[in-house]
Amino acid sequence: MAKTLTIAPVSRLEGHAKVTINLDDKGDVADTFVNIVELRGFEKFCLGRPVEEMPRIVTSICGVCPWSHHLAASKAGDAALGLTPPPTGRKLRELCNSIAYTEEHILHFFFLAGADYVLGPGADYRTRNVIGIAQAAPEIGKKVVRNRHLGARMLGIISGKSIHPVTSMPGGFSKPLTAGERDTALKMAEEVLEFSKWGIAWAKSEVFPKYLDAVKTVGVIKTGYMGTVRADGSMDLYDGKIRLMKPDGSFEDFEDSRYLDYIEEKVLPWSYLKFPYAKKWGEGFSMDLDAPKGIYRTNTLARINACEKISTPLAQKELEEFRKAFGRPCHLTLLYNWARLIELLYNAEYAVQLLKDPQITGKETRVSAKPKAGRGVGHVEAPRGTLIHDYETDAEGMIVNANLIVGTTHNNAPINMAVKHAAKALIKGGNYNEELLNTVEMSIRAYDPCFSCATHNLDGRVAVKIEVKGPDGQVQRTLAN
Amino acid sequence: MNSMERDPADDRPEPERLEEKETLVIGCGNVLIGDDGFGPAFIKHLAERGGVPESVGLLDAGTGVRKVLFDLALSERRPRRIIVVDAIDVGRRPGEVFEIDLEGIPAVKSDDFSMHQLPTSNLLKELREECGVEVRVAAVQVESIPPEVKAGLSKPVAAAMGKAAELVLEMIACPLTL
Repeated sequence: MAKTLTIAPVSRLEGHAKVTINLDDKGDVADTFVNIVELRGFEKFCLGRPVEEMPRIVTSICGVCPWSHHLAASKAGDAALGLTPPPTGRKLRELCNSIAYTEEHILHFFFLAGADYVLGPGADYRTRNVIGIAQAAPEIGKKVVRNRHLGARMLGIISGKSIHPVTSMPGGFSKPLTAGERDTALKMAEEVLEFSKWGIAWAKSEVFPKYLDAVKTVGVIKTGYMGTVRADGSMDLYDGKIRLMKPDGSFEDFEDSRYLDYIEEKVLPWSYLKFPYAKKWGEGFSMDLDAPKGIYRTNTLARINACEKISTPLAQKELEEFRKAFGRPCHLTLLYNWARLIELLYNAEYAVQLLKDPQITGKETRVSAKPKAGRGVGHVEAPRGTLIHDYETDAEGMIVNANLIVGTTHNNAPINMAVKHAAKALIKGGNYNEELLNTVEMSIRAYDPCFSCATHNLDGRVAVKIEVKGPDGQVQRTLAN
Repeated sequence: MNSMERDPADDRPEPERLEEKETLVIGCGNVLIGDDGFGPAFIKHLAERGGVPESVGLLDAGTGVRKVLFDLALSERRPRRIIVVDAIDVGRRPGEVFEIDLEGIPAVKSDDFSMHQLPTSNLLKELREECGVEVRVAAVQVESIPPEVKAGLSKPVAAAMGKAAELVLEMIACPLTL
């Protein structure tokens, strides 16, 4: 009799996911599903609202990456209203983006994924969390919290608020930075940079070596990648062309306004979250581990793969070392965490660079806006992946159409594939234990998924439907939650 | 601007450091999901109503509450008492205000799950037991949670502000137990 093993929920992710693993008669993994159970209707909610209010409204979608939504909405508003923010306004946006990244990446590596590394995947789930880290490694805990506090304080100084920001708007940034504020923030940014340098050095000596075997096996899938690059191919997290890289490393760059020519969203009956795939490759969509089609990934490893180089010196050095060890593109899923620390370093360096830029304290931070009918696509690289906001406005500047593709959605298919890969490798003959199950979870957490804003289907109340199939492929049971 | 000249904007106070308050009242929830937005609305209500001692910080954590709790748990300086205000669905009368006893919540894995949903009882319990922070939870029973994004509180939940304020102010007035 085939058996269903359910890991639910996946602890420490920002939202609801349910992993269902179907075992065959031998107790081996027949199939797996990562299901999303949270339901939102944000795009409908946007309709009829002034486009200039969107940057403020979108931060309530989710408190996990509010700055990414805040900036993508501002950029979509720029595009819809035909505005170009002045250099200072743009740089202040970039500065906040980089600081928010440092907060996010520190949180994820040290608190979310970190518990697996610091305490080990076999640790009891009741202690495999932030308090467990604090007890096992109090000095690290203190450093981590201090640096996250510094990030929040810098955002508070620069923009007034860090949790639900309000300062970016179509046309620029509402609040100039004074020289005094700059000086205060710069000292903090320099401290975060020192921490970021320590963090990657510590992880390379104390953490990653212990997990290299797991890195080579857990959740490894060969896919394409998406990231954002400047004209010279450098990684950029705020602006640039979107680069879609094939699994073999060849790539094509495109303007964000053309995203619908390159990606399409597949709907599958068992998931409310859609499955974007690379339509441009012309091969269709398949999550078959042996013959995937149209699958690409976003988030840290994807961006590290997509870019030619990184514009800041220390992160560039780390990128070179990473590429020497793992190649380009690197398909090892658990290395999302290593790539995350390279990005942490880049953002810490870039924040210091921007704060030392004389233009950062300029007084011209925005241009004025007038309502008009138009369509605007704005994107940023959110910590979890390419975040696209697409608004259409009427003559009064009111939203008449909205489409959002968030970072986690891009990774829906890869997450499902990575779980299948991990489960197949780790569960044999019906044998599994807490450590094996958590290792499956690790392969999900590597993507840092945030499911709460990724689900935005409007039609229906049943969030998830699961079909349990036997070895003959017939549906044995249908589960709905 | 002349570098010798002081920018008056530099005299703006730095944002309040909530970890330095003796008591921190945290309103959590999503203002876009109907009654789930009670916590943030309550913080605004309490700030406007007044009567909150200087030693008490008010924080609308919205959907980012777990980040706040994570940091507080490990912070060298942290409040001695945290009062979480949240909307909850436990089958009571809509708008009913009550205190949740952390002891009554089983330590299940799901409580570590979400970054922005409460009660994150494992973390709250650990804050109390491992970090010496007194943790109390004031909750309001929701009327309903809309299946899709819809801002605004239901009538019974909106009407519960006063009672919730009384409960929270009573909690603030209690002597610290830890």
